[in-house]
Amino acid sequence: MPIPVYVFTGFLDAGKTKFIQETLEDPRFNAGERTLLLVFEEGEEEYDLSAFPKKNVYQEVLDQDTVTTQQLLALQKKYKAQRVVAELNGMKLVGDLYRRFPEGWAVAQEVMFADASTILQYNANMRNLVVDKLSGCEMVVFNRVAPGGDTMPLHKLARAVNRRVDILYESTDGRSAYDDVQDPLPFDVNAPVIEIHDPDYGLWYRDVSEEPEKYAGKTVRFKGQVARLRRDREGIFAPGRFVMTCCVEDIQFCGIPCKYPEASKLKARSWVTVTAKISAEKHSLYKGELGPILTALSVEPAQPPQEEVVTF
Amino acid sequence: MTKIDVYSGFLGAGKTTLIRKMIAEGYGTQKLVLIENEFGEIGIDGGFLQEAGIEIREMNSGCICCSLVGDFGKALEQVISQYAPDRVIIEPSGVGKLSDVIAAVKKVTNDQVQLGYTVAVADAGKCKVYMRNFGEFYNNQIETASTIVLSRTDSISQEKLDTAVNLIREHNSVATLVTTPWNQLTGGQLVEAMEHKQTLADELARLELQRLAEEEEHEEGHCCHHHDHEEEEHEGHCCHHHDHEEEEHEGHCCHHHDHEEEEHEGHCHHHDHEEEDHEGHCHHHDHEHEEHHHEHDGEGHCCHHDHEGHHHHHHADEVFTSWGVETPRKFTKESIHAALEELEGGEMGTVLRAKGIVAAEDGTWIHFDYVPGEVDIRTGGAAVIGRLCVIGAKLDEKAIAGLFGV
Repeated sequence: MPIPVYVFTGFLDAGKTKFIQETLEDPRFNAGERTLLLVFEEGEEEYDLSAFPKKNVYQEVLDQDTVTTQQLLALQKKYKAQRVVAELNGMKLVGDLYRRFPEGWAVAQEVMFADASTILQYNANMRNLVVDKLSGCEMVVFNRVAPGGDTMPLHKLARAVNRRVDILYESTDGRSAYDDVQDPLPFDVNAPVIEIHDPDYGLWYRDVSEEPEKYAGKTVRFKGQVARLRRDREGIFAPGRFVMTCCVEDIQFCGIPCKYPEASKLKARSWVTVTAKISAEKHSLYKGELGPILTALSVEPAQPPQEEVVTF
Repeated sequence: MTKIDVYSGFLGAGKTTLIRKMIAEGYGTQKLVLIENEFGEIGIDGGFLQEAGIEIREMNSGCICCSLVGDFGKALEQVISQYAPDRVIIEPSGVGKLSDVIAAVKKVTNDQVQLGYTVAVADAGKCKVYMRNFGEFYNNQIETASTIVLSRTDSISQEKLDTAVNLIREHNSVATLVTTPWNQLTGGQLVEAMEHKQTLADELARLELQRLAEEEEHEEGHCCHHHDHEEEEHEGHCCHHHDHEEEEHEGHCCHHHDHEEEEHEGHCHHHDHEEEDHEGHCHHHDHEHEEHHHEHDGEGHCCHHDHEGHHHHHHADEVFTSWGVETPRKFTKESIHAALEELEGGEMGTVLRAKGIVAAEDGTWIHFDYVPGEVDIRTGGAAVIGRLCVIGAKLDEKAIAGLFGV
């Protein structure tokens, strides 16, 4: 029986503590399960353990940089915890902590909190940290929205990073509303051949990576650069693009394995237009999970696009 | 000659506002170039800059992590050769280490290009949580800066402000600290703070010189001795400081002389720091003092540097000591008056002189001078931080600190 972990992310003063406090005070969310409350960030707000209806919440303040798997496991055992609620430090990468979660722990939900009055500025200056939180969460709560304020910049921020995230706006007058703005993809998923325009590669790459089954059996055409896989080089290559999330330091090559008998004849880094059928398969690249695999119908030499590096 | 000033500080600390104030009131007619690597909420708008004749360069190529490598140095050299400015103002990303920026700046320094002010702007109300949760880069800004300017000090409780000051002093006991709300300060005062003029040490030295001058008036016949003193007086406060340094690092006179000279040019900082790092002297000394006071009253004080220097150096036989603190606390004329009357009583030692400039509860500033039998308390201009100085014999420092509630 895995231990469910409820994770709350976001920057200081974003309202994480207040939300967790209120949630654990609410009998609907706290029926008495022994709860290990891990605090990796100590902001202005402090937990009031006495306010929880059942004496079932055990708080531990830890350093997100140094905490070890053994420590976490020991705490779980010490308190005989049935579930874990964790408030993460906004300045650290979420994944770095997840990697240290004990084997029996499973993230049940990841929710991000963001102060609408500062998040855009934070995004402009420490995009990698904002993207880190947005990309992994199931829901983002933008709070302190000015009544009647424009939520479009917030919507765009969240949507550009995470197409499936639920977005909730909480305004300073106490009202809250779910985001219901539709964002059509800039390409037609139902076309006989899905044409990906050069600037949209990042979006498509993310969408096909997140939902490979949606694309299974479909045909796609895009321009990319030739890359070889480290292993498994026979009859396969990985067309893709260099994608920048935040700045030149974080540019990564985002390619998709593509079966092509002539693969070994292709010049690495040369530009090609690939037309290929998509399937969702397990591949070592995806560590046993389902991921998109292409089967080339044609691979043609191409001119480099206007911008060689794309963004999401 | 081009000086390169760096204004660090986390997002929202008020770097841009401070830079604006410095441009409008502090830098005068100097030719400026501004390099921004932060995308602030309030941009330093183009119109304002054009009016002031300032070149602006944005380093949009990315966050500080990458722009410091390569591009930054090149951009810096390029603007210096293109515009030959008196000052290059750098506003780095709020999440970068100040020491990294300084290291990058030092790669382009030479005879004609030197590091100028190194400033950390910190939101006074957020120091504590930022230190607790941000870790390295934030502390690095505080520890590396030669001037720390606190923002929004007037929108938090005295208790919170005291906590912020104590925390900052734990990380940096030597930087000039500004705690006064900015609207009470002129750009000129900020420049003085950044150039480390008007420090507590200077204040104490001046008070000591006044005492010596008075002594001269009273006693006659110790010509040689007096001569010495007068010389000291002519050299002003730096002399004192110099002596102090010599004492602490014996045998490095020449070196320290250099250091002093540099200090007056306003870029002693890194030099200072390196010395401290190597010798660990000054800093350590200061720290002991702080802790010492901490024990007494639970209040961390700062910048006590000179006390020991005075003690040993000046007149070991005369046992005059001086006590000085910097404090963001607020007073009333009545409370100062009452405190000075207590000093007059003699139970805390023989007080020869006392002087202070402190914030008043009503938002004004109180200036006072005290010599036995003579109390002068008046309203005056703001200082960057409140200061209290006392000179005398057999001073009970603990009691005096308690008296002023610092």
